[in-house]
Amino acid sequence: MLEVTDLTTSFGSVIALNSVSMKVKESKITTVIGANGAGKSTLLRTISGLEKPSSGSITWNGQSLLNRRPEEIVRMGVAHVPEGHAVISALTVEENISMGALFRRRAHKQDIAQATDELYTLFPRLLERRKQLAGTLSGGERQMLAISRALVSRPSLLLLDEPSLGLAPLVVEQIIDSIKTLSEKTGLTVLLVEQNANTALGVADHGVLLSLGKVVADRPAHELKADANLRAAYLGY
Amino acid sequence: MDTLIAALFTGTSRGAIYALVAMGLVLVWRGAGIVNFAQMGQAMFSTYIASTLIMNGYSYWLAFFVAIAAGALLGVFLDLVVMRPLSNKKQTELLSSQSMRSAVPVIASLGILGVLQALAGVIWAAEERGFQAPFAQEGYTFAGRVMPFTSFDLFVVTVVAITLILTVLFFKKTGVGLAMRASALDQEVAKLSGIRTNGVRALSWAISGAASSLAGLLLTPTSNLSPYTLDLALIIGFTAAVVGGLDSLPGSVIGGFILGFVISFVNYYMTPEDIYLAILAVLIFVLIVRPRGILGGKDTRRV
Repeated sequence: MLEVTDLTTSFGSVIALNSVSMKVKESKITTVIGANGAGKSTLLRTISGLEKPSSGSITWNGQSLLNRRPEEIVRMGVAHVPEGHAVISALTVEENISMGALFRRRAHKQDIAQATDELYTLFPRLLERRKQLAGTLSGGERQMLAISRALVSRPSLLLLDEPSLGLAPLVVEQIIDSIKTLSEKTGLTVLLVEQNANTALGVADHGVLLSLGKVVADRPAHELKADANLRAAYLGY
Repeated sequence: MDTLIAALFTGTSRGAIYALVAMGLVLVWRGAGIVNFAQMGQAMFSTYIASTLIMNGYSYWLAFFVAIAAGALLGVFLDLVVMRPLSNKKQTELLSSQSMRSAVPVIASLGILGVLQALAGVIWAAEERGFQAPFAQEGYTFAGRVMPFTSFDLFVVTVVAITLILTVLFFKKTGVGLAMRASALDQEVAKLSGIRTNGVRALSWAISGAASSLAGLLLTPTSNLSPYTLDLALIIGFTAAVVGGLDSLPGSVIGGFILGFVISFVNYYMTPEDIYLAILAVLIFVLIVRPRGILGGKDTRRV
């Protein structure tokens, strides 16, 4: 279980996360929704070690994630797919994927090969394009690649930041579905950040609503989805 | 005709060394975002170490490999002791603008160059000394004429070719090479992939230090060794790196050979004094026609 307690992260005088507390249950999909600037991405970036919080605590399965570098946090099984289809354009699809498993290549050579095959089965289009540079892929394919880069290290927690950004609805559905399937099949824990609340709440077990850096609701996803007042007040639809 | 062949031969062996210098600069530029003006100071330092070993009766080959290892170690030392602390400083502690922040390590590298040169002067005295070549310095005879291409030149070209091929294979085929390319291209994604970017950065300094020490060892037999003899090689190597595109390894090799040939031709067809002018002309020409260099990426910073 991921436990975030009283987490505060600031950029200069701007407080992006204001005493945020939340839990992510194992083998479940938890989504954090909220408008632009609510602090969703900062939450993920603080968990994965890219930003330093000014106070609060983060633990994953009882181990603290504070004061650790991102590259060490990945080794603890927490993989982060940052916003904006983060792949390296000048590397090939194959290289982007194997990059994600470099740190365990000595001990788990066979498992990496197997994980890579599984990912190609999950996203067959990447297999077709494995020799191409990532920069030549479409937005959806780049997102699939970014997710594969994270999954090839066989994380136990996946932090997924706005996978729907700039993608056609059909592609979004396909990507979200594969995450759902994966979570159900392998017990992967997912923390999904989305601006597209409807899609996210449709797939998640639990939902947390952030507004201006604070948690305003923390409930089962279907309840959040049904609450028209919250939707109107914080998400504007 | 003779002059042409001579110019081509000299251009090849010189170009190979400049390619090595340029490659060292590109490695640190890609790996750490720093134009390292101390590079040939480091090379000078390790060449002095080799020279001292040889003068004390050790074999050339022992000195050769010790100097290359010393170059790598010095590179790592500079990264750990000077560059990493500088880059870890908070924005408010140093000057606040981004351009000044990236200028600080470059200025630091100039400082390191000064320190290394002064230190070499203190330790080894600032007068020129000779540095032997491991092979004969007499030119091969070609069609009845003695060419300016010696067995040492052949050694230079072979060693550089092997080094370049090994470097390319290292970057293309090994996991560490992939980690280095990934870190150079996108630090954040590299970190999130579990790549220890600090280690990768130190490794860039090590490889660059070893490559430039090799260049120093190959360059010095044809000049002499003093704390300042390799300054010109830095200028030429830097120009070669810019010509090739500061972020491209193959580009740096192409740039090195272009500079080698230009300088050699100027040397044979004009006067040696025109060399500096020619280097400047090449630099200005490339900056006007193709500011990002021959193989430079689109978003390379303009020099």
